Amino acid sequence: MSTSEAIDITTALAQPDSKTRRYDRQLRLWAASGQSALENSRLLVISGSATSTSVLKNLVLPGIGHFTILDPATVSPRDAGNNFFLEGESSIGKSRAQEAVRLLAELNDGVEGRADTSSLQHILDTDPAYFASYTLALDLLWADETLPTLVVVNSAGFLGEFFIQFHEHTIIDSHSETAPSLRIDKAFPALLDYATSLDFASMDPTDHTHVPYVVILVRALADWKAAHDGAPPHTPADKKLFKERVQAMKIKFDEENFDEAEAQAYRCWTETRVPPDIAALFDDPQLRALSPASPPFFHLLDALRQFTLAPPHTLPLSSTLPDMKANTTSYIHLQKLYKARAEEDKAAFGPSSRCPSTTPSSTRSSRTRTGSRSCAGRNGARSTPTPRRWVRAAAAASSPKATATHLALSALAALATPHPTVAALTAAAQALLPPGVALPDEFADAVGEIARAPTADLPNTAAFLGGLVAQEAIKMITKQYVPIDSYCVVDLVETWTGIV
Amino acid sequence: MAESTTDWQDRYYDIDQVLNTPGPRTDPAFLAGDGVKDFLRNQAKILVIGAGGLGCEILANLALTGFKDIHVIDMDTIDISNLNRQFLFRQKDVGQPKATVAAEFIMKRVPGVKVTPYFGKIQDKDDDYYLQFNLVICGLDSVEARRWMSATLVNLVDPENPESLKPLIDGGTEGFKGQARVILPTITSCYECSLDMLNKPTAFPICTIANTPRLPEHCIEWASVLEWPRVQGDKKMDTDDPEHIGWLYTVAAARAKEFKIEGVTWSLTQGVVKNIIPAIASTNAIIAASCCNEAFKIATSSAAYLNNYFMLIGTEGVYSYTFEHEKRDDCPVCGGEALDLPISSELTVEQLIELLVEKQDVQIKKPSLSTPTSQIYLQAPPQLEEATRPNLAKKVIELVPEGGEVTVTSSSLPFSLSLRISYK
Repeated sequence: MSTSEAIDITTALAQPDSKTRRYDRQLRLWAASGQSALENSRLLVISGSATSTSVLKNLVLPGIGHFTILDPATVSPRDAGNNFFLEGESSIGKSRAQEAVRLLAELNDGVEGRADTSSLQHILDTDPAYFASYTLALDLLWADETLPTLVVVNSAGFLGEFFIQFHEHTIIDSHSETAPSLRIDKAFPALLDYATSLDFASMDPTDHTHVPYVVILVRALADWKAAHDGAPPHTPADKKLFKERVQAMKIKFDEENFDEAEAQAYRCWTETRVPPDIAALFDDPQLRALSPASPPFFHLLDALRQFTLAPPHTLPLSSTLPDMKANTTSYIHLQKLYKARAEEDKAAFGPSSRCPSTTPSSTRSSRTRTGSRSCAGRNGARSTPTPRRWVRAAAAASSPKATATHLALSALAALATPHPTVAALTAAAQALLPPGVALPDEFADAVGEIARAPTADLPNTAAFLGGLVAQEAIKMITKQYVPIDSYCVVDLVETWTGIV
Repeated sequence: MAESTTDWQDRYYDIDQVLNTPGPRTDPAFLAGDGVKDFLRNQAKILVIGAGGLGCEILANLALTGFKDIHVIDMDTIDISNLNRQFLFRQKDVGQPKATVAAEFIMKRVPGVKVTPYFGKIQDKDDDYYLQFNLVICGLDSVEARRWMSATLVNLVDPENPESLKPLIDGGTEGFKGQARVILPTITSCYECSLDMLNKPTAFPICTIANTPRLPEHCIEWASVLEWPRVQGDKKMDTDDPEHIGWLYTVAAARAKEFKIEGVTWSLTQGVVKNIIPAIASTNAIIAASCCNEAFKIATSSAAYLNNYFMLIGTEGVYSYTFEHEKRDDCPVCGGEALDLPISSELTVEQLIELLVEKQDVQIKKPSLSTPTSQIYLQAPPQLEEATRPNLAKKVIELVPEGGEVTVTSSSLPFSLSLRISYK
């Protein structure tokens, strides 16, 4: 085989298949692990309204596994006017679930859609186990504690809101925007040996210009500590002096690697510790009661906690090294040191991870790797149990605009009449607050919008909520992002969103 | 109001609720009822720029909210990687023009709506073309196209003729983040005013690429920037051609192997050379809905509209920020004042050009420079370029006096920038 043939074959193998090409723009966000979670998810959507199909469109396109629309209604003339997943007048009188499923399923061959024309009440009366097979359920104005995860959406005219009811959301593969620590302040032995073994004075001038700043700092810090009883620079004067020493290491004025080192010098006196949000998770009651039946997240968390008990009391090292001024050899060498140490940390972390024996071993190791790489779940958000009255009263003081909108929409839901008056809505909203707590001043603006269009499911509002809710659903399913943990309120008059 | 035959009873039951009655924050000038419905459904003419991720959503929303005369411009054809979000397209449409396929889909799905597609560039159209619309919505992924559109609409404004002011609504997304804004040309901040809000594109220094590669990206840049022209000569690189990407990938992978650098993949190669930005349906849905909602409110006056910038970050909870972006007095498009530029008296013309390309609030590619009395450096035509080339090595101070004005133009932008030069 000639070399060019060999190249052609490797190139052909590297070229992604059509599914990867189709999902390319989202795989760059949540990778194969997130995609596989989506493909294994099953969604139940109660009603085939414009808002429901807007949400579903955004989840069928990225490739969820299955969706069911549960809706006994037939398509009305107004549905045919405001729902893109109905075919105008020709859909009127047909089953809304069947029409919407047919037109949504067309978006993606890889997704299974099912129309169920039963009523929700019928299902609740006859088949309570119906919901168990779904990952997530979406409803307009109906909540039930028995469902694992439920998104409830409510809107009128230009205003809308939704909330997610979930028991727990744990993230292992997080997308933190803060760069992992390089542990310059707690250099691991191989890095320290390397930095202290370099002879800066007799080094080739070209090499000198290409020593990575990480190495310069580790060395400068080691020298500093040796002269200061092992203590890093502490006072502002110390820090200034330290930076001057780094600058003094230059042999030519234009050595940018030393400028980088000076700019990054703060890393020498900023202690690498377990981030407070993760440390807080170590106090979780689920950790104290850890058993083989506990979810994998808590086994991972426990392994992580044990890891941090030993010196240097940090999270496992990340193997990713940011780019910096250096030549190829010195950079690759440094990268190897980091990778080797990251592997050691992972090994120290791995065996203590007592994952449930029912988990296949391949899954177990890949899980551990993921957790170790991304420093384990950063988030243990839990939806709060509801002393709602008092929550609302507190929110009215801190975020009056969003709370006013939330109260107006809740009042509309509570009244459940097609043409409520401002007076009736105001009274209903007042009843949602504890006695003696006044409605926020902004309530007049919100309630006026509700009274103007109490049953209007506007296409733009539906599409806006559809996008937000689908984003949240993706976060819940992929377990890589942080979902909202209370009501998200939307005002499309002034165009803002708020959290209550 | 003449009911169109396709408007069955209750077709607009939901929308009519906000068109029949004003809300507490509605402008008192709002004419509730038939007048506003007639304008929206029988008179308003709206232009959508882009039939991609945002464009597909925008077209669907506009059609459902009652706009019946919609035009759409897009120069692209459909690619398989569009299908995860551009929901008016199917596998069978791959290779077809986006504008045409999108227009046909909307007309089939929403009866009575006319969508007129144009498969081509926005620069192909003249002022008369843009003057026929009431509103323009941009759903683009290109900064250059946005700058062109914004500047064109600012230039279109004739103070004697209020009809010449065309509101521009602009949306953009990246992953779980996005923004939507309303631009009233000459009245509010324009696209050019906010140029400094853009993230600086990652640029790798040529010496790193050529001599000290460290990252897989450096190897890919080496393959595309240095090796492609060296080996392929004048052959133009087409980043949509899998064979070209394959070649770049192979060359980059070989270089990475030589330098023991890990991580060159097909996907990364494609991402780097095409500057791919992650995109998902849900974020596009939010931003497009926001754009169309502003268009609806401006066209009907049924509610106050966004003043003037909405930013959304969906990665941690739902975080958004609505604020008024301020007009810049020294904006080259809508400001009227020259931009003060203090420079070193040692700076050469060539260095000044580099500065203009790099500077965050200027970013002009291939600028031509002149003073009110002479030409400093012109990029084209070739004769003038040659004639002015010797000036590149000269110091700016030799050609421009303290406080002197320099006019900067570029063929990619329909405006000129005035600089007031001072020396440090």
